[in-house]
Amino acid sequence: MNQFFSGFLLVIFLALPPVAHLLESIMIVHMHMQMPLLVIAGFLMARLFQLRFPRFFEKWNGNGIPGILLFLIIIVFWTIPRSMDEALNFQSMEIFKFFSLSILAGIPLRDSWKKLSSFGKNAVIIIFTIKYFGMGLLYIKAPVQLCNNYLIMDQLTLGWGFLTTAICLVIYLLYVTFTDPTKYQ
Amino acid sequence: MAIPKTLKEKANKEMGISTEDARITKTYLFVAFMALLIGGLLGLLQGLNRAGLLELPSWLNYYQVLTAHGLLLVVVLTAFFTIGYFYAGLSHTLGGLLPKVRKMAWIGFGLKIVGFVFAVIPILMGNASVMYTFYPPMAASPWFYIGLALIVVGVWMCAFGAFIQVANWRKNNKGKHVPILSFFATGVFILLFFGSLPVAIEVIVMIIPWSFGWVKTINVMVARTLFWAFGHTLVNIWYLTAVSAWYVIVPKIIGGKRWSDLLTRIVIIALVIMNITGGFHHQIIDPGISESVKFMHVFMSLAIGFPSLMTAWAMFAVFERTARKNGGKGIVGWYKKMPWGDVRFLAPFIAMLAFIPAGAGGIVQSTNQLNQVVHNTMWIAGHFHLTLGMSVVMTFFGISYWLVPYVSKRVLTPAINKLGVIQTIIWTVGMVIMSGAMHTVGLLGSPRRTSYTTYGDNATALGWNPYLLLLAVGGTLLIIGVLLQVYAVINMMFFAPKGETEFPIAEEEEGASKTPYWTERWGLWIVIMLIFVGMAYVIPLTEFIVNAPPGSPPFKTW
Ligand code: HEM
Ligand SMILES: [Cu+2]
Repeated sequence: MNQFFSGFLLVIFLALPPVAHLLESIMIVHMHMQMPLLVIAGFLMARLFQLRFPRFFEKWNGNGIPGILLFLIIIVFWTIPRSMDEALNFQSMEIFKFFSLSILAGIPLRDSWKKLSSFGKNAVIIIFTIKYFGMGLLYIKAPVQLCNNYLIMDQLTLGWGFLTTAICLVIYLLYVTFTDPTKYQ
Repeated sequence: MAIPKTLKEKANKEMGISTEDARITKTYLFVAFMALLIGGLLGLLQGLNRAGLLELPSWLNYYQVLTAHGLLLVVVLTAFFTIGYFYAGLSHTLGGLLPKVRKMAWIGFGLKIVGFVFAVIPILMGNASVMYTFYPPMAASPWFYIGLALIVVGVWMCAFGAFIQVANWRKNNKGKHVPILSFFATGVFILLFFGSLPVAIEVIVMIIPWSFGWVKTINVMVARTLFWAFGHTLVNIWYLTAVSAWYVIVPKIIGGKRWSDLLTRIVIIALVIMNITGGFHHQIIDPGISESVKFMHVFMSLAIGFPSLMTAWAMFAVFERTARKNGGKGIVGWYKKMPWGDVRFLAPFIAMLAFIPAGAGGIVQSTNQLNQVVHNTMWIAGHFHLTLGMSVVMTFFGISYWLVPYVSKRVLTPAINKLGVIQTIIWTVGMVIMSGAMHTVGLLGSPRRTSYTTYGDNATALGWNPYLLLLAVGGTLLIIGVLLQVYAVINMMFFAPKGETEFPIAEEEEGASKTPYWTERWGLWIVIMLIFVGMAYVIPLTEFIVNAPPGSPPFKTW
């Protein structure tokens, strides 16, 4: 309940017009801060749903794969430049953004993560690493504006943000590959 | 294999530190307090100059003195103390240093000393009056920067030594938590390493080629940003070091128990993750960063305030609980049961108290509008003499009264304890006067880093004089404090009666819940930290580099 409440408060906070406006006024913050925060909010809220509807999650997400696929689809959708533009232009898309990232991405992520094998987890991280390198190059190389609402400079910054995050993910993958937790644990 | 290991650890705990490990800490502490002595004397010269009482000769002018004062106290004193203290802690809690690690500590020592000599000579020759922040486009002799780079590499040696020591212990103690003091050390050395990467890039990649003239210009904003990614982290390294003593040592000295182990570890992890990004609050007035980005950075800085507040709360809870156990009564009456006459408690306690106004001043400075009022005034000097000169340094002083006897196999005599109490009082009074005067005169507009001038007897500038005089009074008291402290350290190191001194580490409270193992996943914390750093720095750095102005040639402004 406590967790649900903090997640819920986080969504409300992010939805406050000045907060939303500030975060959405900078492209990279829009994509790399507001959106992840919404996912985190859903992640926190998930606890309540898991307790209330255990059967539902058991039935539909027994091995975690459907949930993580839903998560991936939602996230990929929101890294498309066009989706960001529409969220800024249409109120309905904005509402869908808040709803989809918290409920349709955050909740399945929490329910699935624990159920995935370590192979599954690393596969997800590898998918993200590749995607981030790809998106990073796209945003850096693109000679034209990809979003009507953001300048080329914003786009470039976002591209470098993708690349630095991808590099961090590579570091993480190297860390799990080359350290052996059984030596310590 | 496991049994001899624990036996060795037991022996280490019972019989005190091995002479080889002790020599490392003793040497590091000796250098630290010599830096305090020389740096303090230079501080006095500055104080007397600012009060208009002393004109410095042309061969040793105000800015040379100020550069040396900053470098000695900000880099040498703190780095050597931190490393000496934590190496003793690693040795004590992890069953003695590995020979390899010891060697690394000595190589690191050598590199730092050589680097320091490289940096000092140009300062003395008047070729490096660039202050310890060495902002381009002011350019010093290249050797000054080479010295700084060597110091950084020396620090890395010690950081890696610590990592090796901790990793080795964990392999031999599967599934166990790293003892709390070594956990602090791990956090501090991680910050030292990752925090000094940006400044190493600034110095080695940007400044050295530029000061040799191999490249013509430098990107000033990138350099400043890299500097403060380091400078701010350094501040929190001192803070984390002081906090380690507040959490782990002070409770033992007052006969109490440590506060929640889990929450302590969470505070450490949170400080490590969120730290480096705080650097931007030193650039609130800098151009090239949009206001909304600055706003978000301030939000990040204030987020670091949260673990700090947890610290204060935890400490007072520990004090009250211990005092009540010892028969303290009433809502505030329990304070009578604290060991006020014990310098090992008194000094860090006052240090903690000083953190209240120091923290408040820090919040003021993080606020855009208020920052514009105090930026580059003496207020700032007042602020860091409170934070560093009181909160951190007085904690270090308090530590020295057991750590120096511990590594010297001597004891703290009642006479030296008394001297320590007197020193603590003098330092407190001196610092309160000096920093109070600095804060006030800063609000009245007196600039920092400026030798005495009345600006042609301008009325405003003349109005500063009484406060500057007060500053000199505080500075004079402080130099007495420096002399007493250095005397005490030398006495405890070489002359005090032989004997065994305990390394005070408080136990966990009974019935505390078990700390979960995830707190040990440093690899994960480091990756999260790097993601934070990437997110915070990518916006301004892309802006500075893509929209860069032509760049600046080197200037010698003095
Ligand atoms: C005897 C005691 C001390 C005295 C009298 C003293 C005095 C001063 C004065 C007058 C300034 C110059 C302010 C300006 O013109 O901007 C200064 C700067 C400074 N002091 Fe101290 N100080 C003392 C101890 C310390 C200690 C213990 C520390 C830290 C551990 C410290 C750190 C600094 C730093 C970092 C600066 C700034 C240097 C710069 O702006 O480049 N001081 N001090
Ligand atoms: Cu800072």
